[in-house]
Amino acid sequence: MSPRTSLSPFPLVPVWDVWVRLFHWALVLCIGGAALTGFLADARWAAVHLACGLGAAALVIARIIWGLYGTAHARFADFLPRPAALVAHLRGTDGRHRGHNPLGALMVLAMFAAILALAFSGLAILGGWLRLGPLAADLGTEAGRAARAAHEAVALVVLAMIALHVGGVVVESRRESENLTRAMLTGLKQVRPGDASPAEATPKGRRALVVLAGLAATIALAVAALSARPAPNLPVAEIDPLVAAECGACHMAYHPSLLPARSWKQLMAGLDDHFGENAWVDAGDAAEIEAWLTAHSAETVDTAPARIFARTDPEAPATLTEAPAWKRLHGDLPDALFDRAPIFSRANCAACHADAATGRFSPFAISIPKETAE
Amino acid sequence: MKRLIALFVLSAAPALAQDTSPAQLIATYEAEAGRAADPAAGAAFFMADHTGGKPETPSCTSCHTRDPRSPGQARTGKVIEPLAPSVNPVRLTETKEVEKWLGRNCDSVLGRDCTAAEKADIVAWLASL
Repeated sequence: MSPRTSLSPFPLVPVWDVWVRLFHWALVLCIGGAALTGFLADARWAAVHLACGLGAAALVIARIIWGLYGTAHARFADFLPRPAALVAHLRGTDGRHRGHNPLGALMVLAMFAAILALAFSGLAILGGWLRLGPLAADLGTEAGRAARAAHEAVALVVLAMIALHVGGVVVESRRESENLTRAMLTGLKQVRPGDASPAEATPKGRRALVVLAGLAATIALAVAALSARPAPNLPVAEIDPLVAAECGACHMAYHPSLLPARSWKQLMAGLDDHFGENAWVDAGDAAEIEAWLTAHSAETVDTAPARIFARTDPEAPATLTEAPAWKRLHGDLPDALFDRAPIFSRANCAACHADAATGRFSPFAISIPKETAE
Repeated sequence: MKRLIALFVLSAAPALAQDTSPAQLIATYEAEAGRAADPAAGAAFFMADHTGGKPETPSCTSCHTRDPRSPGQARTGKVIEPLAPSVNPVRLTETKEVEKWLGRNCDSVLGRDCTAAEKADIVAWLASL
C-alpha cells in the first residue's frame, strides 16, 4: 500500500530515483557556481568556474548513461518526446505524465546539449585563448576568441532555459496541484486515474557503472594524450642570461612576447631616459639584448597577452601599463592597491601574476598579495 | 631549503669578473682626480638632495636608503642589495658594473656624470662602513 498525504486523496509512488535527484541538484550547484563565477566574478575564479563547468558536463554524461540503463522514469524511452505527444500536450488532450512531460523532456534534451556545448567551447577557450589543456596544440588565439563568443552566447541561452524551466515547474505545479519541486527532492509523485502508464524497466545499475567507468577512463586517457602534445607558437621558455641580468637588475625581466618588435626597438633606443631613469647599457650589450628581444617579440607567438598588448598606446608604445587592454583588465583595481607593499608599482606584474616571467599570464596564476609592512 | 635558496640566489647573481677591489678603485679614482679620497665628503654627497637630475630621484638615498649596509628598494619595488662591501662582498669588485651604475645613477640624481673626486669619495666611504 502506498503512503498517502493528509491533504491528497492520491497515493504516492516513487518516480525519480535517488540518482536522478542527486544528478538534478548537483547540476543546479554546478551550473549555479559556473554562472556566478562566469558572469560576475573576476579572473581569479577561473579555476572554480572550470571545475563547475567540467562537473556539470560529467553529470550530464553520467545522466545520459542512466537514461539508457536506469529506472523507468529515468530512461529516455520513457520521455523522448514524439511530435504527436508534444501537440497533444500543448492542446492539453493527453493524459498526465508521471515522469517528464513532452515539453519538460524537450527542455531536458536542450539543456544536455547546451551544457555539453558549453563544456566543449570552454575547453576551446582554454586551448585557444589560454593555450592550455587538451586543445592547446590544435587551436590559437583566433579560435579561442571565437570560442569565447560562442561560450558566452550559449551561456545566455542556458540562463533563458533555466528561467523557462523554473517557470514551467511553477505553472505545471499549479495546473496539476502537485509540488514538482518537492517531488524532485522526495522522488515521490501522486498516482492519479488516467495517468499514462509507464513502460516497465528494470534498472541495470552494474551495467551503467561499467559503461560509466569505461567512458570516464577513455575520456581521461584521451585528455591526457591530447594535453601531452607540444603546443606551437608558445613564448620562449628560457630568458637570455644577458637580458635576465640587465633588464632584471631594476625590475622583473618582462617577457619579450609582451611587446611588438617596434616597441622593443624604441625602448632600447631610449635607455638613457628609461621611465624616468638612466638605464644605458654599453653598445655591444644593447645590440645583443635588442636582437634577442625582437627575435622573440609578440609577433612570434600566439598567446592572449601577446595579442592584446600588441595594441599599444601610440603615445607610449613601450609602456605595457598604458596599453588599452592593460587598462581595461586592471580598471576596477584601486590605485592604492598598486602603491602598497609588497606590490609598489603597476609595473610589478609578478607581484600578483605568479607566471608573469613566462609571458603567459594564466588566470589560474593570479593571487593579489596581502598588504605587508614596508 | 635555506641552502637551496642560498644556492639559487648565488646562481641567479650575474657571474662577476671580479677584476678590481675597493682599494684599487679608490686608487684609480684618486689618481684621476689628483687628490686623496675623503670618506666624510662621500657620505655627505650620498646623503644630500641634489638638483639637476630626474625628479623621481633627487638623492642616492631615494633608492639606497641612508644606510648602505641595509638593502634598498628601486622605484619598481625591487630590492637593491646593500652597497657596502662589508655586508655584500661582490660590491665594488667589477669595473664595468661600478662604471655602469655610477654612470646611470649620477645622471638620474645629478643630471651629469660624477667627477673622479666624487667617485673616489663615495667608494672610500662605502668601503669604510
